[in-house]
Amino acid sequence: MSGSEILETKSLTKAFGGLVALDKIDLSLQAGKITAIIGPNGAGKTTLFNLIAGVYPVSSGQIYFQGKILNKIPAHKRAAMGIVRTFQHVHLFGNMTVLENVMSGRHPRSSYGFLESAFRLPKARREEESISLNAIKYLNLVGLGTHAEHDALSLPLGQQKLLAIARAMATDPRLILLDEPGAGLNTLEKRQLSDLIRNIREMGISVVLVEHDMPLVMGLAEWVIVLDSGQKIAEGTAAQVQKNPKVIAAYLGEEVE
Amino acid sequence: MLTKVKSKWNYLVIAALLVLLLLIPFEWFLGQYTHLAIFIGIYTIVTVGLCLLMGYTGQVSLGQAAFFGMGAYVSAILSKTYGVNPWLAMFIAAVMTGAFAYFIGYPIFRLKGNYLAMATLGLGLIMWILFRQLVQYTGGPDGMVGIPYLSIGGFVFDTSFKRYFLIWFFCLVILLISQNIVRSRTGRALRAIHGSEAAAESLGINVDQFKVKILALSAVYASLAGSLYVHHLRFVSPQSFDFLASVKLVVMAVIGGLASVWGAIFGSGTTHVLSEVLRKAGEWDIIIYGLILMLIMIFMPGGLFVKLKEIFERLRLRYRQRGVEP
Repeated sequence: MSGSEILETKSLTKAFGGLVALDKIDLSLQAGKITAIIGPNGAGKTTLFNLIAGVYPVSSGQIYFQGKILNKIPAHKRAAMGIVRTFQHVHLFGNMTVLENVMSGRHPRSSYGFLESAFRLPKARREEESISLNAIKYLNLVGLGTHAEHDALSLPLGQQKLLAIARAMATDPRLILLDEPGAGLNTLEKRQLSDLIRNIREMGISVVLVEHDMPLVMGLAEWVIVLDSGQKIAEGTAAQVQKNPKVIAAYLGEEVE
Repeated sequence: MLTKVKSKWNYLVIAALLVLLLLIPFEWFLGQYTHLAIFIGIYTIVTVGLCLLMGYTGQVSLGQAAFFGMGAYVSAILSKTYGVNPWLAMFIAAVMTGAFAYFIGYPIFRLKGNYLAMATLGLGLIMWILFRQLVQYTGGPDGMVGIPYLSIGGFVFDTSFKRYFLIWFFCLVILLISQNIVRSRTGRALRAIHGSEAAAESLGINVDQFKVKILALSAVYASLAGSLYVHHLRFVSPQSFDFLASVKLVVMAVIGGLASVWGAIFGSGTTHVLSEVLRKAGEWDIIIYGLILMLIMIFMPGGLFVKLKEIFERLRLRYRQRGVEP
């Protein structure tokens, strides 16, 4: 493939005991694109996400991010490299306001620590100012600027999901992984979500999403990768993938049951 | 506008509390309670550390008395047995206790929830046994007497009146520092860990390291409090650092409201005043004490301090409405 891969995997494998969740997956994701990973339940989509995010170690194979091998890099360092993820179950910080949630996302882009915090040293004040300015910027990006002072969990689910994206965006990522961003949203919220994701792409950030909602995926994704039982069975544009007999079989096979 | 008014009120309340604190030890005011107020201050320092650890970071410690005791004993032994300057002894104790907490933090925080509670409980028991058994250093169950006072130049903190100001100075500085930490990048990281470790990690927060550091900080607080304790009482015995002491510390943190640094004063204050008042009830005291704790937990699960703030806020709003509307 052509030069600008943001993420690459080479025979990436993950086994939990005897169960092989991902089996020798080769992927190559283009920078600045919206890529969707789809597949029936248990296909290994979330496992793939967790491997990229560093939640657990790979069993074998390699993951490369912008040409650098990721395998041994601990999860908390990947955010500083430019990889960030959201969660299917949102995982907002319920003990903070909306704004503070987004401010937490600035963690890898600031550096002052205990000592500077304890005595409000100039570095702390300086960074704190840029943290809140950036946080407000990303809050406005998802349209939640007016909710800054509310408790995070007081928002309806749709806005919580947007907030989670704002929080992730606050890390200034190169690659954002969205785990089922559309789950539980109504039609209007889904449309807002699609606009937001396109906006993010316009900012030059690569987007990967795992999603069950096919209309949403087909409307958004420029490249679709289909997993089934831990294997990659197809990839291509939305139109190509939809016609692929293997994909149809995988989905029909599931639905007929 | 509203926040401006609010902050003006906050300053008023803080100023009132400071004046109250300043006047307490004077004979014509509450002088007879100086001793009690000193203890409230000492335990507030330990409780603040627990608030940071439990309330903000969500990590339980049932062994905080271990660090409290370490500070007390290291200070006592160095200053009495080896004649080290008490201030230096206090500093060494804090560094030792903090380093100790830091190193045991890594294995301890591999555990979560109940297991973490068990491990810290074990730590508390082990330290307590050490205080009792290392007789040649600690004096065993009888403890140590004749620990020197703290002094600055020729000024010796040899009366309760003087020590009251010294201890509350430490207490307020520590409260202020903790407040700053809570309202910073560090504080957000700690609360993020409490909120969701997975999400915190995904945002680049080094979860393990923050947990260990906050444990070490809370241990340093406890150690400082322990040092102040022995240089105040000039006496130390293992009894003050047993399992019950750790539980009492947790109770203070919970009553004060885990999610507020200033609540620590209320937690420590309520607990001490309560046991002082209940002393008159003789053997019934523990029952009444338990009952009051239960009531507080049932009706004010956010802690006494948070509830008081709520009530205050409501009164203020009512007052303002009456003032503004015809």
